[in-house]
Amino acid sequence: MANLKEVRERISSVKSTQQITKAMKMVAAAKLRRAQQAIVQLRPYSNKLSEILSNILSNLGSDVESSFGVVRPVKSALVVIITSNRGLCGAFNSSVIKQSLTLIKEKYAEQRKAGKLSVLFIGKKGYDYYKSRYTDLNLISDHALMVGKDFSFEHSSGLSAQLMEEFETGKYDAIDIVYGQFKNAAIQNFIVEPFLPVAPPKADNKEGKDKELMADFIFQPDKTEILDHLIPTILKTQFHKTILDSNASEHGARMTAMDNATENAQELLRDLKINYNKARQEAITSEISEIVGGVAALEGA
Amino acid sequence: MKLIVLTPDEKAFEGEVERVVLPGVDGDFEVLVNHAPLISALGEGEVMITAADKQVTKMKISGGFFEVLNNNLSLAAEQVIAE
Repeated sequence: MANLKEVRERISSVKSTQQITKAMKMVAAAKLRRAQQAIVQLRPYSNKLSEILSNILSNLGSDVESSFGVVRPVKSALVVIITSNRGLCGAFNSSVIKQSLTLIKEKYAEQRKAGKLSVLFIGKKGYDYYKSRYTDLNLISDHALMVGKDFSFEHSSGLSAQLMEEFETGKYDAIDIVYGQFKNAAIQNFIVEPFLPVAPPKADNKEGKDKELMADFIFQPDKTEILDHLIPTILKTQFHKTILDSNASEHGARMTAMDNATENAQELLRDLKINYNKARQEAITSEISEIVGGVAALEGA
Repeated sequence: MKLIVLTPDEKAFEGEVERVVLPGVDGDFEVLVNHAPLISALGEGEVMITAADKQVTKMKISGGFFEVLNNNLSLAAEQVIAE
């Protein structure tokens, strides 16, 4: 049985750890709310863009050709890995990394062998993992710290514009994003999403029925030119959405992880307290028996 | 007529307006009440909104899209800087 002082010290250290995890959970909950808010804010904007897109498509009548939809034989590829900057968020980062490793080893094994596979990191944790282990890949860490305190569309659009240009000029033939899609605070889906090339949008037949109220639009300058502007904007918005999603997922994962940690600490505390009381009781019992024994010895004398 | 200005980060403007001047990619144009349905790509420039109470709001945009339908105006811009 551990001695009393040791157990007491252990209890106080577990208690202070529990306080920290509790505080972190609260902070993560607040940040999660803000991250979700950002996703909600983006929705009317992206809805409006897709509304305009479907208006144009239904008026255009034919399929669209876009330089972002060109499917080329994949000679060189880019994998974008979105992780968090900080740890203590459960299996969040390791799940993303695991997903990305499968992608690299299975889908892009050939490109890797040819030295034509690049990996771009958003979030410090992913880069930390790869930088010492996978030196044969072309690692790009310029944007690792992009998602900071007040992350906005402006930050992500620069990068997504750059990626689109690199795809167009043929630097990469395929770009995939690996990230944690936000489902709810407890659940994240770790998925691979192809960013480029995109399948050219098609006029949706189902929506054709509501199109009766869709009036004869005037298109300024003309449909194809609007599309040339619209498709990159939609891609940028999608890219932004993935980062926002990953951000919300991170905070959700951290909240759950910290909640579990707090609960575990509570359980540990209960066990320790029982141990402490046992040790205390034992000390009292042995003390009493010593006194009784002493008295008996005196009486006998 | 109603105008709503959307950006990826926020709703930058919403309200009843009288006239709106917009920077189209081919040059500035103005939209008044009962404008025909229109979809337009916008370039970089200044948007001037005259609200129903004659108050004028100016904002700079870095490009975007504009739609008019049944006196409902929507502007989707990447970035809006109020002046």
